Amino acid sequence: MVTVTAQPARAGGRSPRAMLSSLLAGPFQRRAWAELAWLAATVPVAAAGFAVLVPLLLVGAGLAVIAVGVPLAAAVVLAARRLARLHLRLASVLLGESLPVLPPARPAQGLLGWTRSALGDPAGWRAVAYLVLRAPLAVAGAYVLVALWVYYGLLDLLAPLQVLYHQGQPGIHPFVLRAPDNAVLLTVRTVPGTLALLVIGMISLLAAPWAVRSVAIADRLLARAVFGPGRLAERVRELERARTRAVDDSAATLRRIERDLHDGPQVRLAALAMILGEVRESLHSVPLRDDDEDARVRALIDSAHRNATETLTELRDLSRGIHPPVLERGLAAALASLAATSPVPAALTVTLPARPSPAIESIAYFCAAELLANVAKHSQARRAAVMVTGRQGRVVVTVTDDGRGAARLVPGGGLAGLAERISAVDGRLTVVSPAGGPTDVTIDLPERP
Amino acid sequence: MPEPLRVVIAEDAAIMRDGLTHILTHRGHHVAAAVGDAATLLAAVDAHQPDVAVIDVRMPPAHTDEGLHAALSIHRGHPRTGVLVFSQYIETRYAAELLAGNPEGVGYLLKDRVANISEFIAAMHRVASGGTVLDPEVVRQLIGASRRADELAALTARERQVLALIAEGRSNAAIAAALVITSGVVTKHIASIFAKLGLTPSDSDNRRVLATLRYLQS
Repeated sequence: MVTVTAQPARAGGRSPRAMLSSLLAGPFQRRAWAELAWLAATVPVAAAGFAVLVPLLLVGAGLAVIAVGVPLAAAVVLAARRLARLHLRLASVLLGESLPVLPPARPAQGLLGWTRSALGDPAGWRAVAYLVLRAPLAVAGAYVLVALWVYYGLLDLLAPLQVLYHQGQPGIHPFVLRAPDNAVLLTVRTVPGTLALLVIGMISLLAAPWAVRSVAIADRLLARAVFGPGRLAERVRELERARTRAVDDSAATLRRIERDLHDGPQVRLAALAMILGEVRESLHSVPLRDDDEDARVRALIDSAHRNATETLTELRDLSRGIHPPVLERGLAAALASLAATSPVPAALTVTLPARPSPAIESIAYFCAAELLANVAKHSQARRAAVMVTGRQGRVVVTVTDDGRGAARLVPGGGLAGLAERISAVDGRLTVVSPAGGPTDVTIDLPERP
Repeated sequence: MPEPLRVVIAEDAAIMRDGLTHILTHRGHHVAAAVGDAATLLAAVDAHQPDVAVIDVRMPPAHTDEGLHAALSIHRGHPRTGVLVFSQYIETRYAAELLAGNPEGVGYLLKDRVANISEFIAAMHRVASGGTVLDPEVVRQLIGASRRADELAALTARERQVLALIAEGRSNAAIAAALVITSGVVTKHIASIFAKLGLTPSDSDNRRVLATLRYLQS
């Protein structure tokens, strides 16, 4: 039994009453206080940044003619990056917004490298742009904070207290309302005037959170516009992470299946074959009676024994195709085994600074296996070479042969299948194979998917 | 009937360990210990000094190649104990590691070979008496990957069969039995093979195996 309750307030747009209540409740929400805290924190950061960075950047640019200005400008860019990072993190933490994350700068070593990397860092320049463009927002934020919250808001609410305090004294002390530039806006001497101030104060305080929120929203839009990764880029990052997980998971699953096969069916079948073998030998060692039944039992056992051993072979090939166990010892060991069994003599060189992730090792291994099999099948080569190098987070596998060349990426062909498999991890396949040879196939993979 | 063997078995799958123990015992051999991991294996070999240790490659804790390392260490520390490594896979690299150094009293077989228990026990005897045993699968891969393909092509089909059996570590009598020919014919084949490949003939089975393996791997 399902009970359906009507919810009139949310059914067809928001009623005026609901809007009014949300307007009135605005200042008392947690979010309003978080935004206020954010504004209070960013105003000084922005002021400091703007006051220090812009003049320095200008000075740096001016001094660029004499070499001293260039490192100065670089320092400014790095500092801007730090400040922008602080801004984004403040917004992420205090407002709970998912904003682009600015990774910390990694300046190169040495003054020259340091300067060059800082000045050549697009994110650093974006940070400068963000801080400059943010300046009006910072001013607006400061105004909202000082004027709406404090000056028109809290101070006006204090007006009745002042009137009460001075009551009975000769001539009511005037409550003077001044503009931020200190011009006298309003001088209140009467009780109705005080009440009017009270109303102004309340309206200011009700309006202040919305003003703060506008500043926060504008800042967020600015940050997203300047630092790029909007929703789309975020989604791409998310998908990349999901893909990495999927690739890693599938590699782990294949390894588990191989291990389960090894520890379960394969060893049980081997034990079964052993027992059948023993039974078979026992039967064969006793003299055959002149009896069809004996011969039939022997034939049955022979057949069962043969089936068991053949199945073991099939299971082993299947299992090796899923995940060759020697890969556990690393790509170099696995490729050494592979090269040792290659019908075309294959020289192997592996230079890897660190072990790639298991999924990448597995892809690299199966690619090399397929390529060596191709060499044996099609190239008529006399010798081949497999070279694996790792640098800058990439693993590059090159298989060369001195065969007749003319290998092509044909849709549906073996090489195209490899290319597809590689592209699943953002890898690249390059085939250089002029007619007459030699053939050179290069697979460029990331160290981690 | 050959001498009964004193055996230590290291195999983490209980079904295989118990089955093998049962069959070996039934056939009159003495299984001094049957263990499930490399550490216990080393202790058991120290304690029992067996004629032969039958060792699975993949054992706890990491299930990669603990057995291989244990076998190499036993081979170094207990030269009188033959080590017969068996595994559900053949890796030529493992074979090369086992045969590097002193390959006497070392064997490497596919686990499937227990299906023919008499041949398996014969292999244990060969290893126990200081011979070398290689799985036909290893030999097939070695011959397939040999850089001497042109010279091997000069052999007749029968000579290639004989060469493979030599590389597996078989004696003349065993080769004769396997190919159903007389040992005189085997001797003739071997002389012809060694002449064609430029190897020095040798009376010792084991030196003959080594010469052949070195030839195939070079």
